[in-house]
Amino acid sequence: MTEITLLTRDGVRLNVPCAPGQTVLAAAAAENLHLPAMCGCGNCGQCHAHVSTGGYEMGAYSPVALPDAAQGGVLLCRCMPHDDLVVELPYDDANISRRAIPEREAVIESITQAGAGAMMLALQLRPDETLGSGADFIPGQYMEFTVPGMEIKRAYSLANLPNWDGRLEFLIRLVPGGAFSTYLGTQATVGDALHLRGPMGHFKLDEASPRPRVLVGGGCGAAPLVSLLRHMAGYQEWQPEYLVFGVNREEEMLPQVLFDELRAGLPQLRIIQAVWHPSQGWGGFSGTAAEALDALLAEGMESPDVYLCGPPKMLGAARAVAGAHDVPTERIFIESLAG
Amino acid sequence: MFCFQCEQTARTDTGAGCATAKGVCGKDETTSDLQDLLIYQLKGIGQYAHLLHQQGRPDAAADSFILYALFTTLTNVNFNRARFQEMIAEAARIRDRLQEAAGTRLAGPAAFQPANDLTGLLAQASIASVRAGLDAAGADVIGLRALVLYGLKGVAAYAHHAEVLGQTREAVGAGIAQALSFLASEPVDIEDILEEALALGRLNFTVMETLDAANTGTYGTPAPTNVRITPVAGKAVLVSGHDLRDLEAVLEATKDMGINVYTHGELLPAHSYPKLHAYPHLAGNYGGAWQNQQQEFAAFPGPVVMTSNCLIEPLPAYRNRIFTMGPVGWPGIKHLGHGDLAIVAQAAKALPGFAETAPEKTITIGFGRDAVLGAAETVIGAVKSGAIKHFFLIGGCDGAAPGRNYYTEFADAVPEDAMVLTLGCGKYRFNTHDFGTIGGLPRLLDLGQCNDTYSALVIAQALAGAFGCGVNELPLSLVVSWFEQKAAAVFLTLLALGVRNVRLGPTLPGFLTPALVDVLVNRFGVLPVTEAKADIAAAMGRAA
Repeated sequence: MTEITLLTRDGVRLNVPCAPGQTVLAAAAAENLHLPAMCGCGNCGQCHAHVSTGGYEMGAYSPVALPDAAQGGVLLCRCMPHDDLVVELPYDDANISRRAIPEREAVIESITQAGAGAMMLALQLRPDETLGSGADFIPGQYMEFTVPGMEIKRAYSLANLPNWDGRLEFLIRLVPGGAFSTYLGTQATVGDALHLRGPMGHFKLDEASPRPRVLVGGGCGAAPLVSLLRHMAGYQEWQPEYLVFGVNREEEMLPQVLFDELRAGLPQLRIIQAVWHPSQGWGGFSGTAAEALDALLAEGMESPDVYLCGPPKMLGAARAVAGAHDVPTERIFIESLAG
Repeated sequence: MFCFQCEQTARTDTGAGCATAKGVCGKDETTSDLQDLLIYQLKGIGQYAHLLHQQGRPDAAADSFILYALFTTLTNVNFNRARFQEMIAEAARIRDRLQEAAGTRLAGPAAFQPANDLTGLLAQASIASVRAGLDAAGADVIGLRALVLYGLKGVAAYAHHAEVLGQTREAVGAGIAQALSFLASEPVDIEDILEEALALGRLNFTVMETLDAANTGTYGTPAPTNVRITPVAGKAVLVSGHDLRDLEAVLEATKDMGINVYTHGELLPAHSYPKLHAYPHLAGNYGGAWQNQQQEFAAFPGPVVMTSNCLIEPLPAYRNRIFTMGPVGWPGIKHLGHGDLAIVAQAAKALPGFAETAPEKTITIGFGRDAVLGAAETVIGAVKSGAIKHFFLIGGCDGAAPGRNYYTEFADAVPEDAMVLTLGCGKYRFNTHDFGTIGGLPRLLDLGQCNDTYSALVIAQALAGAFGCGVNELPLSLVVSWFEQKAAAVFLTLLALGVRNVRLGPTLPGFLTPALVDVLVNRFGVLPVTEAKADIAAAMGRAA
């Protein structure tokens, strides 16, 4: 048995015993410390942390999700200590849940098209004896779905706001051949029951920050940004706010009605729609989300908070752009949608 | 950022004050600087308002804004930077209106023009720091000005509570405007500032009398009441803070829905007001004093409404189900007016509520001035017969600092032949202990909120009248735990009324220099706390 010391960003130390062959994530969960994580198989990068002391072994993982393995970077769902370990967590103690992640049942309320290759899925939670009937989550968080009839799990970010009606909304980009995408595209019907786990995740707004906010999303990364923007619209913030959203082709762009809703709620919001391979008639930005971010930051603004959500390649490019414009690492908030 | 207004302020070898990116209370640098600017503007508004009051042409809306705005700057009230940006813009408009009405242009804070963006405002903040002018004026002057400002904040908070219940007096608006105008003049004479502090203490007595009239006029005279302190099965709402009217609004919004409403912290005394007690779904009191709220709110199975101070950063576990009202605010937490309370009922219905009824436990509260003076003959008889040898009023705020165990130890060590009176949330340290009875009365009498200090003073003055002596000659000792600025206002009132031998703790205010402490000790008989048993012995010895 080894001992793991978890060190949070705000300086809280948590000691956890770890059995041979047990991952850090599992050892912490056994002590009722539920660390932010998603796929559980080394693909998504959600449980990324840094080991400052001690030896360990990493199980199989995607190099995209762990680019800094040589510098002590680890994925806690794959990290098995050899001896006592000190792990630096990139979040505060408040982000560690002390209760088991809730398991919920929900029913499909509606499925609608949201641009080419994407669906808006609305669910109604079934009341739970201990959790009640509301949809209680922090904007930016996600739920994990069990694909009906299979053991496979998939995570999707919530696009709506927490509410007491028990309604959950997701913006899901269909992946050809993907397990949940196939279900959604071919089988799912209104009234179907789904098993969910969550909410989870620590991608959330730094609400106390007075800095301009730049939200950058690509491909399937729209949902949590939409949730954050809807949340911001409720609080009449004063700072400049920007949404940079990139897709490969124009037809993949989010429905215009969604952009209109966001603009109506946040009068100071500037929306930059970027298309990587546009048609000749495209009137928005031509290029990737990262290139659009580069152009935006080049215009000059007070040092912003940057929120990034999308696939790892987009995140890497956008993070590099933000860094090149001197946005400090601690002001860049990332939600990786790998896996 | 520099702030040393509350008891928990950071203390080092070089002095007291929170001067980092975030204060001990959770207030960040930006919000703190914006609060300083708003107060600077209020001094400017006060300059014009003072002039208009003198001319018999007060601006009631401006007086009201001053109360509300000062209240938002108390410790643990409003942490919402965006709200302060709004209020700074509003303050500039109000100043312009008063300037036009006055027909003259005054210098100093009255002439301040706030920048129109955050960067500009933060660049202006140094002019408004509570320590501005330190080098020229010296630490004693700065500390004494701070005492006046913080006392003024407390006065404004009490006056706001009275105002929302429809009780206003022009003398209060005039007094507050005068005090702000005085501070705007950057006074440097210690005796002048001290006299201003005492005048503010006298003003606060009037304000507390007004608040007492507002509370009792609206909700009836508090009466001894047993309050359940264990939950009953069913949907539940928790209301914290101090504001009785907000509690009433929540009770109205949740009635006949099968939802139980619980009080938290300083709203415990609400149960003793007949018109609030009459709501059958005002089910009981839950939890303890404000500093335990993160654990208690997380464990509460329903929505929480925070009506005034004292708010601590809401944890993720309950961020969606806590709501603020009145002067309170936190970034990203939903703020409700009285018309918005349907969401509280909706949340209560959606959340699980208490699954089981816990075994019943109760405490007795509601010994306001009428209840105590109604038993005056018994009390006087018990004193004359020797059954009651001494009264200890252990009142004020609670807090998390270990030094506050002093008050628990003090209450438990009070001799059997002495009665304990209490008010404020410090009482949660001992209000479930068994104090028994004395002279046919409960040995522990709960007088109410910190807002009910007026009631305690009326009781003391009535007893002094009955015994034909002054308050200082009564076998009465005041043991005050202070935390924030309402306590500063009460403290000034005690000084202004000439009440001596007040035990003040758990630490002395960080803004008081050693020289100022000497003035309080030597001229006003203020006693810093030492050890509980030694202080009790000293009090009994003094009385003997």
